[in-house]
Amino acid sequence: MPVDNKRVRGPEISQSPLLFLPPDSQISKVSSSSGRQGARGNGDIRPLFARCGLVSQAKGSAYLEAGNTKIICSVYGPRETERKDETDMKSGRLVCDFRLAPFSCPKRGAWIQNAEERDLSTALAESLQPGACLHRYPRAQVDVNVVVLENDGSALAHAVTCASMALADAGIEMYDTVLGCALRQDEERCLVDPDLAEERAESSAENQGRVVVALLPNLNQISGLQADGEMREDSLTAAVRTCVEGCHRLYPVVQQAILRAVKKKAAPPPEK
Amino acid sequence: MATVQVGEAEKVYIMHGVRDDLRVDGRGCEDYRHMEIETDVVSNTDGSAKVSLGQTDILVGIKAEIGKPKPMVPDEGYLEFFVDCSANATPEFEGRGGEELGVELSNNLYKVFNNKHSLDLRSLCICPGEHCWVLYVDVLLLQCDGNLFDAMSIAIKAALFNTRIPKVHISEDEEGGKEIELSDDPYDCMRLNVENVPCIVTLCKIGHRHVVDATLLEKACSVASLLISVTHKGTVTCVRKLGGGSLDPDSIFEMTETGKRVGKMVHAPLMELLQKEESLGRERTKVGFLA
Amino acid sequence: MSPMKLCVPGERLCSVEDCIPGTGTYPRHGSIFASLAGYVLRRNEGEELPIISVVRETEAQLLPDVGAIVTCKVTSINPRFAKVHILYVGSTPLKDRFRGTIRKEDVRATEKDKVETYKSFRPGDIVLAKVISLGDVQSNYLLTTAENELGVVVAHSEAGVQMVPISWCEMQCPRTHNKEFRKVARVQPEYLQA
Repeated sequence: MPVDNKRVRGPEISQSPLLFLPPDSQISKVSSSSGRQGARGNGDIRPLFARCGLVSQAKGSAYLEAGNTKIICSVYGPRETERKDETDMKSGRLVCDFRLAPFSCPKRGAWIQNAEERDLSTALAESLQPGACLHRYPRAQVDVNVVVLENDGSALAHAVTCASMALADAGIEMYDTVLGCALRQDEERCLVDPDLAEERAESSAENQGRVVVALLPNLNQISGLQADGEMREDSLTAAVRTCVEGCHRLYPVVQQAILRAVKKKAAPPPEK
Repeated sequence: MATVQVGEAEKVYIMHGVRDDLRVDGRGCEDYRHMEIETDVVSNTDGSAKVSLGQTDILVGIKAEIGKPKPMVPDEGYLEFFVDCSANATPEFEGRGGEELGVELSNNLYKVFNNKHSLDLRSLCICPGEHCWVLYVDVLLLQCDGNLFDAMSIAIKAALFNTRIPKVHISEDEEGGKEIELSDDPYDCMRLNVENVPCIVTLCKIGHRHVVDATLLEKACSVASLLISVTHKGTVTCVRKLGGGSLDPDSIFEMTETGKRVGKMVHAPLMELLQKEESLGRERTKVGFLA
Repeated sequence: MSPMKLCVPGERLCSVEDCIPGTGTYPRHGSIFASLAGYVLRRNEGEELPIISVVRETEAQLLPDVGAIVTCKVTSINPRFAKVHILYVGSTPLKDRFRGTIRKEDVRATEKDKVETYKSFRPGDIVLAKVISLGDVQSNYLLTTAENELGVVVAHSEAGVQMVPISWCEMQCPRTHNKEFRKVARVQPEYLQA
């Protein structure tokens, strides 16, 4: 995206006053044993709203809402590949572009993709690739564009789910739908599908971290795994298991959204 | 990424070897290749190290500069990682060819160090909210022969161990203005505690088993690998699945277990080696780049 | 009649012993799974087992494949090859643009050395061609018109009128009666629509 030169830019360095809030108000959200927002249990995912096929120009698209996290994804292609230097021409390429809208986070971001978004794009591509039958699309590329409209935590996990819905809506052949689930570990407390405050909260505990898992539910394969923080191996293993369970809980909603779009697009073909 | 082409027959050969715990170069599944480490190789840096693991060669230089702390954490310094894939390693990296890989590697390094205990960032603070040390960790890939992550993390740990940050004193004048004074004695410097710096173990899934420290050949036979960074205590600071394939949950659990075990074992000999090298002091014969 | 069964990618449809996997499905570990979201269709085609496939409102996205007959439009020509845009694969329109190349030696089957691209195609012509290769790193799809049924099907004269084929290598403008050279396709009658 070109830089907008006509926009009047703010001073070179400026920060949102919210960043200077006393940090303790944020910590309490994770480490306190009080309940989560919306009377949610630690192992509960936020209610999910998902729809397919809202971007009419795209081959396939999906919109997903989990709490305040709102993600839109569109899929284009398969079309002629742009990069010809790839060594493997026999299978197609999945090109993922993950963007956080500048207003999506508490701190304003730039329109230009930063290192974090590029990293998330790679993670997204790696999570989706095992699910897509790319060998069916030789010499072609499929573009997956994800925009996070509002980031209230677990953006990558929901982006994976949203993108796989859009791929299914686009009629790209897939081995399985891909579902994503995130988790925040803080000592013994395991928060599934954390919101932004829970995700970002500082914790000085010895055993804390963030885990994102992408799952192919029918094949029972993990196609994406990311974790950072400091975790013991046993709690990491438990966290991955919990995430897998969380993914399975998303499945009915995703399934329904995809089927709804199929029904909307066409009446069943005449039975012979 | 630097890759090699492998024929189907060779793939089968390698996979069968891995199944029987015997790899092409004679190693077992959990063995590293021969590793050489040398610290203090570039005099213009505050800390440097060169690691060669098989044919993979990595040079890390650390420079400390004074910067402004991040507003969220006013009492801590920070690390900046930059990985340069030099065209020396492979002609593919020429121009901007290595950029993608470089960004991927450095992003993972940020993840590996994204916790409170890897490195005591508070010790890098000079004056809260105003000045802190920024450590620029520049990684240069001189030769690629697989397993960049592991070699890189070991080189970073060694370079951080070798880093000497000059001591500074803050003096206040009558008007309340602060001034940073650098110590006159070049030996008056601060060392970093690198005990908790994690090492990365990359496990490649080949057939039904996984191997540590895969060569380029072995990497080409594997569809997915798992990167695990482990501290000396066995705490996992970062996990990431790499590559286009998927893994079943059980093999992920097996791989994390192996990763933790192998990673934990790397630390003690590494620290011992670094300390031994340092104790030699000036008597040490420098090997340099012609090893 | 019960509503038709729907499925999403990854759903297990049946065992490979019950059906033959058709479009939109794939076999794995002795079962057939769906690879598309759509309606599950079982069809008996005389064989022992019915074919199971998943169908959607639009036909599955086709890509030009080796051996496929494609309809394309010539975009530019030079002495060595003609560049084209592939518009249709068989009778399915492509949504995105795919580029192809017809090299001089692939224009016709005989007297390949005497081919002149300028006397075979002009920019704007609609050409029927066959895919001979997906091309390599540098090139696009490689196409050929070296068959009687392949070549120019629609062309406009310099006067801008659609021309009428008069032989396998010439077309004539109905207004000016000028003759122009083309590698004309003998369109099979079954493809012609009244």
